[in-house]
Amino acid sequence: MPLIVTRDLRKVFRSAKRFPGALGALRGLFSPVYEDRVAVTGLSMEIERGEFIGYIGPNGAGKSTTIKMLTGILVPSGGEVEVAGIVPHRKRRENARNIGVVFGQRTQLYWDLPLVDSFELLRAIYGIPQDRYRRSLDAFVELLEMGDFLRTPVRQLSLGQRMRGDFAAAMLHEPPILYLDEPTIGLDVVAKEAIRTFVSRVNREQGTTIVLTTHDLADVERLCRRIVLIDHGRAIFDGPIERIKNEYGRERTLVVRFTETTSAPAIPGARLESLEGLTARFVFDRATQRVDRLVREVSDRYSVEDIAIEEPELEGIIRHIYTQGYAGEERSA
Amino acid sequence: MFAPYIEYARKAFAREATYRIELIAEIGSLVLRVYLLRSLWTALYAHNAAPTGLPLHSMVTYTTVALLMSLVLEVDGTRVIREKLREGGIAVDLMKPIVVPFAYFSDGIGQTLLHAAAIVPSLLFALLLVRIDVPSLPVLAIFFCSFALGYGVNFFVNFLMNGVAFWTLETFGLQLIVRWISDLLSGQILPLSFFPGWFGRAVFALPFAAIYSTPLLVYVGIIPPAKWAAALAVQATWLAVTAGASYLLWRAASRRVVVQGG
Repeated sequence: MPLIVTRDLRKVFRSAKRFPGALGALRGLFSPVYEDRVAVTGLSMEIERGEFIGYIGPNGAGKSTTIKMLTGILVPSGGEVEVAGIVPHRKRRENARNIGVVFGQRTQLYWDLPLVDSFELLRAIYGIPQDRYRRSLDAFVELLEMGDFLRTPVRQLSLGQRMRGDFAAAMLHEPPILYLDEPTIGLDVVAKEAIRTFVSRVNREQGTTIVLTTHDLADVERLCRRIVLIDHGRAIFDGPIERIKNEYGRERTLVVRFTETTSAPAIPGARLESLEGLTARFVFDRATQRVDRLVREVSDRYSVEDIAIEEPELEGIIRHIYTQGYAGEERSA
Repeated sequence: MFAPYIEYARKAFAREATYRIELIAEIGSLVLRVYLLRSLWTALYAHNAAPTGLPLHSMVTYTTVALLMSLVLEVDGTRVIREKLREGGIAVDLMKPIVVPFAYFSDGIGQTLLHAAAIVPSLLFALLLVRIDVPSLPVLAIFFCSFALGYGVNFFVNFLMNGVAFWTLETFGLQLIVRWISDLLSGQILPLSFFPGWFGRAVFALPFAAIYSTPLLVYVGIIPPAKWAAALAVQATWLAVTAGASYLLWRAASRRVVVQGG
């Protein structure tokens, strides 16, 4: 039985339409016209215990709305949702015990108080026994290297330190499910890496199920095995990262560095994409062209110093899908 | 079961205590206002006959005690609702296994307790400038009961104001108007018995009178022991009404929680 199940989940927001100008505002006040905006529709997915899902999509695609329905703070307009056997919006508090949530853009820590004060409050909220609290706090302090700033008021922490505090806060009660909403936004490379190492370890060692929402596809590539791609409120892809790469990333790039200036180099079966100085980039279709033949052709024809083959990055693929739409087989559930 | 809420109150207390300068300024301004109002009433009484049987020393007592009460009653314990709605922080709270209004209520209690602690130094400084009447023990006891009921009414009136933010997000204008009306009609600035005719009777029928007026009129003796029970019963009724309305508002609100930045 999957841990998280949604079936045909739907959320429509109804809002009063705004008219321009002061008269328009007045008109809106007295005869409001309502507009429906579909945030999520027909969303069906199943997430197994211990999975690490990348939940991605452009801004306004419906990611946050989905997370809010999974946490029980938004009531769906239709369809079903179940998290660990609980319907979140019916039993919000019961569901809350099973989940931890980290928002990159807001904090749950008390701004004016030392970091440890927020942890104490959480201990009381979740009723964590004193000895277990000590144990997990010590573990987090060590793992996230928080020893130096545990007693510092949160407003004086750097973003990286604050994020580490927020992670510990979300996980102090050892929830089986973790929702991460852009947890690495604004962090420098070192802080990002520390967070990634930490969540990947949590997922591996404690079997915590993690749903990660992010625009940083390096996060996804590094951490997730499966991605769910959502656009205009619909899941347009759900599967392993390899599959989306295979479907979209059929093109490879052959990067050739010549020993001497070469004008208009050409290889049959590949298209010259660019030529800058001594370096030429050829694009070819991996499915129809064999790499060994291309390499042989280019080294037969020209004097070559170095050859490399570039795989497409997830980022490029996703960018392509956002702008061109998903052309693969639409996932129907 | 109550542990989380006690902790919310403690954290709010600690948080407010970090604003030390603000608290000192509050005490300073209060003492200044005590002095100004004493001067004002003294000047007014010198030119007019004492109205409605309230001698000058009772009037000074009334305004001084009212100002001390305001230290606690002007704490808008539920302003967090408004702030969290605008900034989206309410989502974080709703993702916790807590009854959110109770958490905010406890936060308000924590803030109130810190400001209540400021009453003692304020009172000491004020006593350097004015002399206030100290009533008998039973009167004091009833005063504190009545004050507690008034605190509750005030809390829920604020809750209702802040709760409007669920629909409008912005409540500043509304709050300003209600604050003005409340200051005047609650008896904070002057005793409600000063208002003439039908208006004087009508103000007693409003919930605001339950906040300042009833405890203060008990304190200065305008509400005699025979009428204590009735006065407190009216307060308790308002408490029940505002609490009930708050409950309904919260229920309606949680059905339409649309968190900002969705």
